[in-house]
Amino acid sequence: MSNDETFAAAYREHYWAVSRYVARRLDGRTSEVEEVVAEVFTVAWRRRSDLPASPLPWLYGVARNCLSNAVRGYGRRRRLVDKLGHDETAHGRQIVDSPDSEQPGDWVHDALARLAPADQEVLRLTTWEELGIDEVAVALGCGSRAAAMRLHRARRRLRAEIDSMRTTVAAGPTTPRRDTPKEQRHG
Amino acid sequence: MADELELLRRANPVPSGDPRFGDGPLGHEAERHLSRLMGPPADERPRPGRFLPGRGSLGRLLRGPRPRRTRLVWALATTAAVAMTSLALLLAGPSTTPAVAAPRPLVVRADSTPVPLDQLAERAEGAAADGSSGLRKGTHVQSWSMGMSEDKPPITLPVERIVRWNADDSHTELVVATDPRHPGRPVLSEGDGDSGLVDDGHVISEQTFPPSWSDAPPESPPPHDAKRLRAYLQDAQHTDTPLTTPELLDVTRLLLDTWTLGTREDAALVRLLADAEGLRPVGQVTDRLGRSGQAYVYDATGARQMLILDPVTGAVLGLESTATVADPEYGLKAGDVMDYIAWMR
Repeated sequence: MSNDETFAAAYREHYWAVSRYVARRLDGRTSEVEEVVAEVFTVAWRRRSDLPASPLPWLYGVARNCLSNAVRGYGRRRRLVDKLGHDETAHGRQIVDSPDSEQPGDWVHDALARLAPADQEVLRLTTWEELGIDEVAVALGCGSRAAAMRLHRARRRLRAEIDSMRTTVAAGPTTPRRDTPKEQRHG
Repeated sequence: MADELELLRRANPVPSGDPRFGDGPLGHEAERHLSRLMGPPADERPRPGRFLPGRGSLGRLLRGPRPRRTRLVWALATTAAVAMTSLALLLAGPSTTPAVAAPRPLVVRADSTPVPLDQLAERAEGAAADGSSGLRKGTHVQSWSMGMSEDKPPITLPVERIVRWNADDSHTELVVATDPRHPGRPVLSEGDGDSGLVDDGHVISEQTFPPSWSDAPPESPPPHDAKRLRAYLQDAQHTDTPLTTPELLDVTRLLLDTWTLGTREDAALVRLLADAEGLRPVGQVTDRLGRSGQAYVYDATGARQMLILDPVTGAVLGLESTATVADPEYGLKAGDVMDYIAWMR
């Protein structure tokens, strides 16, 4: 197969997986997903000669770079809107569920958001994209041992955040609450 | 309670079965985009290094008054090739005993007096008083990073990385396997998913990145007063709330992996570090490049971070991360150095 045909096959096979990857990181702004995914495949098209035999983790790596630029722009716009106080969504939810509740949901995202962007990304790739360590390494552009190291650290830090939230809940008032409201961050 | 990965897995905001993004035939727009990419004959396609015009805000973000290039196009630059060859020739030597031993944590000199960070911040401000800067985009870093595996013992990978920015805002990155403590000896390196010994000076990668469109921290120049630097680092860390000490250490790493600071920026950074909670002075150390510095320790869950600062200018010389809790799953022992980064000038 030529590079062009390989690219077209990868596009058709992985379009929706890349869309899910992007949607998971755009914090509910689903209207922007299609546009970002189009940029991801535009960049991938230009680099199609680099496309590996298993292209999905590599496409995630391209998407990660595209998103980091899109999110920076969004972060600045978001802060401006916050200042103006005109956007209800900008005020965010400050009450979180207890880590002891049966169904983890927003509080897990909350614990994740407290980590550095690089830690968040290795955890998301492992759990949400369900990548193995070798695939995580491709997506992050590092060796597999380095990826394992990053995952190990990120897990430890996430566990510490969860434990600290449990402690806060146990010691705090009946309605658990974050110490400091924080905007969801992106990796 | 389930382990942290299982909890996160259950909190996936867009599961694979999500009807909005479920696997299946492409939508109309996706088909059209593929046709646009594949459609024109080869000689009419956009030239490599140029963005296709996009639509909407992201497209506008990526377009500009002059042709933009994606940073993801990797090409070998002549400058990188020359630097690579010179470095390889300089560093490669006869193979003797491999330099594979894991580094030990830095040792604080027992007879040294710890210098409080406030005092060092004052010294740094004095050193920066003449107003000269020396700020330069690019970095020169030597690191020793532990690599882990579920079925093999951890290994330490020594790497030297040089990033140079060019006048047109493109930059080149050269990564070489080398351990300056053992010049000329074979070095452990990680290739395509596996590790093995390579010659000292072996080029792991060389890449040229076209001009970046980003004007946000850490791409934009760091300010040299503490208040503005604090806001800059928060932006670089994507947060609107004050940085915690671990976050400040993380983002310091990010900053120094992009910029070589001048004396004024060094002084501003030390002031921020002096204001951070939990960084305690422990005394004098000699780092792995033989430089003398003052060490400051932060104890986090499961790990200890040691920051090494120049005793006169306050410049960050290095950051060492040591495990304080063993993790048998990965063969990690308490006291193992997880990584050490030495920023060179």
